[in-house]
Amino acid sequence: MRVAILGHDAPLWLAAATLRRALGPAGVQVAAVALPDRGAPGDVWRALPGIEAFHNQIGVEEAALLRASRGAFSLGQNIVDASGANAEPLLLAYGGIGTGLDGEDFFPHWVRARHEGLGAGLDDFSLTASAARSGRLFLPDAESERYGRADYGYHLPATDYARSLKTIAKQLGVEAIEARAVEAERGAEGVAALRLDDGTRVEATLFVDATRDGLLLRGAMDETFEPWAAPGDHMLTARAPRFAAVPLYSETRATADGWTALYPTLTHVHVEHVWSGRAGGAEAAAAAASGLALEEICVRPVTTGATAQSWAANVVGIGEAAVAFDRLHGFALHAVQLGLVHLIACFPGRGAMTARRAEYNRLMAMHIARVRDFEAAHLTLQRHAGPFWDAARATPLSSEAGHRIALFRARGEIAPHEGESLPPDAWRALLIGLGIMPRGWRPSVDRLPPATATAHFRKMLGFVREAVQSQPTHDAVLARIVQRG
Amino acid sequence: MANGAYRIVILGGGTAGWMAAAGLVRLLPAADYDITLIESDAIGTVGVGEATLPHIKAFNDMLGLDEAAFMRATMASFKLGIEFVGWGRAGERYIHPFGTFGERWAGADFQHHWTRARLAGSDRRSLQDYSFAVAACRAGGFEHPGEDPKSIRSTFSYAYHFDAGLYAQYLREWATARGVRRLEGKVIDVARDTESGDVACVTLESGAAIAGDLFVDCSGFRSLLLGGTLGVAWHDWSEWLPCDRALALPSAGTAPLLPYTRATAQRGGWMWRIPLQHRTGNGHVFASAFCSEDEACATLLAGIDGEAQGEPRLLRFQAGRRARGWAGNVAAIGLSSGFLEPLESTSIFLIQAAVTDLAALMPRRGERVDARLRDEFNRLFELHYDRTRDFLVLHYAANARQGEPLWDHVRHMALPDSLLHKIELFRESAIAPDYALGLFSRDSWLAVLEGQGVVPHANNALAERLPLSKLQRRLDDLADRIAVNAADMTPHAEFIASYCAAAGVTLPGAAASAA
Repeated sequence: MRVAILGHDAPLWLAAATLRRALGPAGVQVAAVALPDRGAPGDVWRALPGIEAFHNQIGVEEAALLRASRGAFSLGQNIVDASGANAEPLLLAYGGIGTGLDGEDFFPHWVRARHEGLGAGLDDFSLTASAARSGRLFLPDAESERYGRADYGYHLPATDYARSLKTIAKQLGVEAIEARAVEAERGAEGVAALRLDDGTRVEATLFVDATRDGLLLRGAMDETFEPWAAPGDHMLTARAPRFAAVPLYSETRATADGWTALYPTLTHVHVEHVWSGRAGGAEAAAAAASGLALEEICVRPVTTGATAQSWAANVVGIGEAAVAFDRLHGFALHAVQLGLVHLIACFPGRGAMTARRAEYNRLMAMHIARVRDFEAAHLTLQRHAGPFWDAARATPLSSEAGHRIALFRARGEIAPHEGESLPPDAWRALLIGLGIMPRGWRPSVDRLPPATATAHFRKMLGFVREAVQSQPTHDAVLARIVQRG
Repeated sequence: MANGAYRIVILGGGTAGWMAAAGLVRLLPAADYDITLIESDAIGTVGVGEATLPHIKAFNDMLGLDEAAFMRATMASFKLGIEFVGWGRAGERYIHPFGTFGERWAGADFQHHWTRARLAGSDRRSLQDYSFAVAACRAGGFEHPGEDPKSIRSTFSYAYHFDAGLYAQYLREWATARGVRRLEGKVIDVARDTESGDVACVTLESGAAIAGDLFVDCSGFRSLLLGGTLGVAWHDWSEWLPCDRALALPSAGTAPLLPYTRATAQRGGWMWRIPLQHRTGNGHVFASAFCSEDEACATLLAGIDGEAQGEPRLLRFQAGRRARGWAGNVAAIGLSSGFLEPLESTSIFLIQAAVTDLAALMPRRGERVDARLRDEFNRLFELHYDRTRDFLVLHYAANARQGEPLWDHVRHMALPDSLLHKIELFRESAIAPDYALGLFSRDSWLAVLEGQGVVPHANNALAERLPLSKLQRRLDDLADRIAVNAADMTPHAEFIASYCAAAGVTLPGAAASAA
């Protein structure tokens, strides 16, 4: 069986390498039809901790990857107010928060303690949030695992990351085909073949659309892209010289007319600026918000939304072809991963693919909806000033997201759902960071005497402080990686 | 009783009532809650679910019950699964085990490897042969699961068969010793708050008025408060689950003491067989539209394997659930909230889930019922019932009993879309349902899908990463490990005799030396 992937940039090569590595030994041929790169030098990926499993699968070695792509580690995302609203900074760090008490989750105990006067914030109990603040990379060990999860992700410059993945994909036996333009040839069951500009015809049983615009899924298969209502229709990316010390998180500055994110990498600061309306004045706005001398500036329109189905006939859309998340949280690479995980699980073999396609679409719809809930919750609950953020507050919430926020307000519980790819602690950090303090907590928490709980909290804070202090600085880790190269 | 405490009034003292009382008194802080349970010795309990699912162990552990003591007190035996007899073609039988099928190899779930080896003509074994729990059932043995995750002896869990009436009594003693107040009496009147419509208090025959902040309706089929007072609608599921009667009849135990429940399909329904320490529980669930009471009675009497104890007792029911489990300040738990036939021993699980959800979403002292918390309870309530329903319906929909009116009917009925997709997906691809919330696990679905004759036509390509000859060696080795380990398990009756036998009970088939 042969699968053909059409696309460009990192999604194409990540899809090709992953499918080839997983299914090559089962006899699946993978052809990657690469269209001209669509990226700009300033483009950067936010890779969540889950990328590590993918990289391990396809044989990517961390240090080599960071050297080759000029990437850096990341412990999360910090969103600060520069709109004049004086909203508190919102640190969305990876990993878990606190340790369970008395056989129960940490969080309801913390809510109760805050109501009873505890000064320590939620972040203070997170190894990664504390490490991020002190510029140290948290590397988990057995003791810290007993305390709670500590995860890290990366910031990966798009052009160099794609090049690294392409090399790996070819080493794994992906047939790489370059094309300047492609046309889809329709068959009885979806797409029969791709016709390249040089006359080559690429046939396959299954086609994966990893293009940004959904050339096959939305184009050839006519799958409707349904945009989501949210502000932000243009994006500027650029690069600036690196900071003296490389921060361990991205910083997103919310201004009255949009936002500007700074993604530190090994050699640069990558800047992403999103706003609504016309392009005029964007360069000045991005420069002003970042306070940096920008180079390699590229401006393009952005949309958010998803196709009704991610897989139509024999065409599977991966990443932006099927779903374009809001740029704010940088979930674009996460979307590619979600698609690939479920595609492998539902991969067609002998016989019909009808039920597998339905299953893939069902699973992807759930996963997309839950990630979208996270974005929509942030957009509706943030307190920045200005027209961009006023429009954001009007973002429609799904009934699931509405109920989840309501239940959290009432009780601090995160209503469980199928198809969750973001951990409950990410939701807790988001909602608490946006100023939503639950009114109550589950009554079982009250069985623990307050003094006992206080003693536990003191011990936890002590552990976090000491554990973080013993970690290396980001610069030290990066220097070691560069030297070894 | 604390002053100003939040008052919880539980109505009804069967399995549901006492599980609710015990769970709530354990999970809620004693200083803040005042828990009263009203029951009447004059009202019988249905005594649902003498057979349970492994989740019950988590509930008992949460309470801190001593397993052997609880088993002695409830005449309990161990349960490793359910055997289904005659649900496919005549004479066919399979076990839904409380354990896993095989192992995950090369990144693919076991059933993909099994399917691949079968389609290649290399393997002829049933999926059943790759479950240690199935082999243990067939060997009639029991031991607690092993601790070493690499050992095949750790690949199962277990539940119990017990006398639900005795379980309720056991929990009654446990809960009343921890502060639950028990009131004897029948409710003759319900008073509602004129403004909110909430239930304000219930009046007993004695004239005593019992006021409460939250009422837990465990009144059984009558659904006194939720269905009666508040009029919450009933969703009838008999289009998918047409059985509406059961005849129950205990009989003397017979050797060997089996470590599993048996469900035998009959012309007009199916029969259960539940082995306890002191007797065997039997019953015939049937559809009155297809089978008369006389016929059901004759079938039952012909089908029991020990001497009958007393006369068959008739129960009437309808499959379905209330539109909501919690309305106003009334949360219903047990039969008052819904009914699903005991085919997969789900009744006690549904009670347990509702009790733990209610404890987490319970108003705190000084609060009123918060609609947001109630919405969450109801969302989980629906999810639990609806998922369980699909699993039960599968047994009927995929039967192979040609030419019998009930079975022809259920084989051709229109299925819920959610179930239809699961069946088609498994048949096309060997992908089995696998979700995070509620019953049942992927292994359970696998057992029943294969057992009812739904055969996959293809497997995930990942399974083909293993060379076929290597795969077959692994399969052979697995089947061998299972057979060897199951063969030296302690016989069930012997295990019980040495671990938890009730005083004065003669266990069927226990070696005299062990008694």
